[in-house]
Amino acid sequence: MGVAFDSISFKASLCDGCGDCMTACSEAKSGASRISIVPGAKAGGYEAALCRQCGDPKCAQVCPSGALDKDGGNGVIGWDAAKCVDCLLCTAGCVYGGIAVDPNVSRVAKCDQCDGDPACVKVCPTGALEFRKAGSIFNEYGAKEDLFVPGLSGCQGCNSELIMRHAMRKIGRNSVLATPPGCIPGMGSVGYNGKTGTKVPVFHPLLTNTASMLSGIRRYYDRIGRKDIVVMALAGDGGTADCGFHAVSGAAERGEKVLYVCVDNEGYMNTGMQRSGTTPYGSWTSTTPVGEHMKGKTQDAKNLPLIMTAHKCRYVATASTGYMEDLYEKLDRAIEASFEGFSYLHIYSPCPTGWRIPSNKVIDACRMSVDSNFNPLWEYTNTTGLRFTHSPDNAYPITEYVKMIGKYRHLSPDQLAHIQAKVDEQVALLKLMAAESSPPPAAHRAPAGASTPAGAESSQPARREIARN
Amino acid sequence: MNQLPTTTGKVIVCDGNEAAAWGACLSRPDMVAVYPITPQSSLVEYLAEFIADGRMDADLMDVEGEHTVLSVLHGAVLAGARTYSATSAQGLAFMFEPYFRTPGLRLPMVVSLVTRDAVSPTCVWGGQQDAMTVKEVGWIHMYCETQQEILDTIPIAYKVAEHPDVMLPVNVNHDGNYLSYGVARVELPPQSVVDAFLGEKQVNWHACLDPERPMAVDPLTGGAGGIGPSMFVKYRKGICAGMQDALRVIEEAHEDWGKRTGRYWSPLIEEYRMEDAEVALVTIGSMTGAAKDAVDTAREAGRKIGLVKIKTFRPFPAARIAQALSKVKAIGVVDRSVNFGWNCGPVFQEVLAAMYAQPVRIPMMSFIGGLAGADITVEHFATVVERTFRLAGGETAAGPVWLNEND
Ligand code: SF4
Ligand code: SF4
Repeated sequence: MGVAFDSISFKASLCDGCGDCMTACSEAKSGASRISIVPGAKAGGYEAALCRQCGDPKCAQVCPSGALDKDGGNGVIGWDAAKCVDCLLCTAGCVYGGIAVDPNVSRVAKCDQCDGDPACVKVCPTGALEFRKAGSIFNEYGAKEDLFVPGLSGCQGCNSELIMRHAMRKIGRNSVLATPPGCIPGMGSVGYNGKTGTKVPVFHPLLTNTASMLSGIRRYYDRIGRKDIVVMALAGDGGTADCGFHAVSGAAERGEKVLYVCVDNEGYMNTGMQRSGTTPYGSWTSTTPVGEHMKGKTQDAKNLPLIMTAHKCRYVATASTGYMEDLYEKLDRAIEASFEGFSYLHIYSPCPTGWRIPSNKVIDACRMSVDSNFNPLWEYTNTTGLRFTHSPDNAYPITEYVKMIGKYRHLSPDQLAHIQAKVDEQVALLKLMAAESSPPPAAHRAPAGASTPAGAESSQPARREIARN
Repeated sequence: MNQLPTTTGKVIVCDGNEAAAWGACLSRPDMVAVYPITPQSSLVEYLAEFIADGRMDADLMDVEGEHTVLSVLHGAVLAGARTYSATSAQGLAFMFEPYFRTPGLRLPMVVSLVTRDAVSPTCVWGGQQDAMTVKEVGWIHMYCETQQEILDTIPIAYKVAEHPDVMLPVNVNHDGNYLSYGVARVELPPQSVVDAFLGEKQVNWHACLDPERPMAVDPLTGGAGGIGPSMFVKYRKGICAGMQDALRVIEEAHEDWGKRTGRYWSPLIEEYRMEDAEVALVTIGSMTGAAKDAVDTAREAGRKIGLVKIKTFRPFPAARIAQALSKVKAIGVVDRSVNFGWNCGPVFQEVLAAMYAQPVRIPMMSFIGGLAGADITVEHFATVVERTFRLAGGETAAGPVWLNEND
């Protein structure tokens, strides 16, 4: 469940059909090439027949002798020469042409990814072949237990469900979770009529009192010496920024040792997409409609994470599922901080249903919201101040972001100019705060081995990716 | 029933708020959450002082409002804590959202209500409008007459709340101003007596938040069709059953307390000089003292009158009240709050409903006094006695009679 592995990717648009990869492969393997470059459907284009190392491999399914097996460790489908009866059924079973026949020996020729250093990739002159290690981070996440049941009833493409599953993977079983009214219990975290969707103790607090009731739990657990339990909220923006704000503010002021995660989908989404305090200016919602006299929300959003920094929280950060490594690193720091004081993580969560985004474009929207500075990524601690974890320089214009999202479809040039001005103003303020802050001590940097403390390196390829789409 | 104590506890002189704080202290709550409000403020100051002095081993949570007071205690109880707090009027109103769900979660908590009139018009003085307004929510409500009864009723309330047959929150109510600030002789039972009486706390065995026992607390229940509504009905019936069982458990707890301390408070209702009474008064809370004096005076004048004091208002001891009042010729009920929409006091309406099941119709009259911190004096009760006898004599009931109107 949720396991991903390293893979060789092929970008047809970059392949010029030189065949160097095939040569390199057959040399490396002293036999037939395991990769075949063939003419593509488009005139002048090429396609590659190579093993996808399928999760549910058809070659192995059709193999009568059990010679093919997907190894659980690295995801590579292995071929056992001793077991193979040379029926070649697997070469017919694989629709990708991923298993070749070596005519010299009349036996199968199977890609084994050259132990992580594929010969084909190394020689490809155009970069059409790429060995993607990116899957390894998902191996790490996937190996952790998903603490929600598979059957949560989120909308298709729901980003909040992604946040819930990944946040709880990181936080783990030794936790007590509160999910106040909103999409998160709506999709079944606490459950319905006696059922539950969560594997850790979970409570459905009032919309207004999440931070308070968590304070009570934490205080008592501290009192009886159970200090290692993560006491946390997965709350929406309405219960955090609006009617629950007194509780959040009070708990932060008292320094309660609570991890408070706000999943900000910019409105009261599960009740029909009404505006909240974090709904951005200009948004269409069912209570800020677009008509003759009103064109969406007329006020700017509350900047809740910034407000939380003024509470001198132990830790405050913004995050996005568009940058998962950044999110995971921040979860680490947020958990650690929650044993010392109030820890606040604000995660932007586009709502495909309420924002009018195709469900397959949600992550693109997440990325663009960061890359356009609509949702800059930063973190703050009460000792080191604020720092960006993703460069706010060279951002896309805000038009690139809003055009992806249906709730902004009606925006006039004036409204767009207002939004751009507010975004620029916000970044300027954050930069000022970051400049005033002392550099973070080692403890607050990314753990050794994680290569993207500032996020800048990892962000650049992503930007190119979006630019091309 | 203010007989002298037989245990050898320390005797102090204190007001009702301090008596409540001592009652809480002796019950050893783990967590106390507070927010001040007149006339409760000195109560939470006493608690803070006890904790600061190390006399009370509890975690003090000074929070940003009553809504949070009850919310942090919800979390604490679900994690396994015994808890205590106190409030009044607007504080209770601000607390209402978590207050409403406490019985539904079956959280055994004790909260003192220092009763007060509710705004508007703005008024910070005594009355019972706050407590009477929340009588239908599912909390047990017990009203105290004296400072000693306040102190004693708080441990009794824990015993009732945590009883497996009850598992409901309890409000121990005492009148703002009159009892909160009035000073009297109070005996502190020895800690060992209270410890033995309360035993091990029984807080979160049925619903808890603990990674060792993962469970989902308070799932969404109901909706159309299937198991949902019937589950919801089951929960509702469970609370009703807990309330009815509480009548027995409250009596048992008072009896047990009496054996250990020598102070036998009437658990549900107290009957005073009712043996051959032809006319009865019904009272609640601190007004009862003056009412008893008025009854004594009338008795001295040869008039057959008695009194029924209601101690437990929720669950309403309807059968006991009907039994006590079934032989009189007229009943005068005195309220310290108003039932808007019925043009009477709420206690009056409750007694009226309890008496409806009786074969004989007994004339009843509603009296409303003591609003906004006004005293209900012996003179006021003389009026009540007089009007109730006239009612017994055939005069038509015209109510309510507003006792302080011409003060
Ligand atoms: S990756 Fe290795 S095994 Fe696979 S085709 Fe290329 S050279 Fe052959
Ligand atoms: S040839 Fe293919 S199908 Fe036949 S045994 Fe070998 S691996 Fe299996």
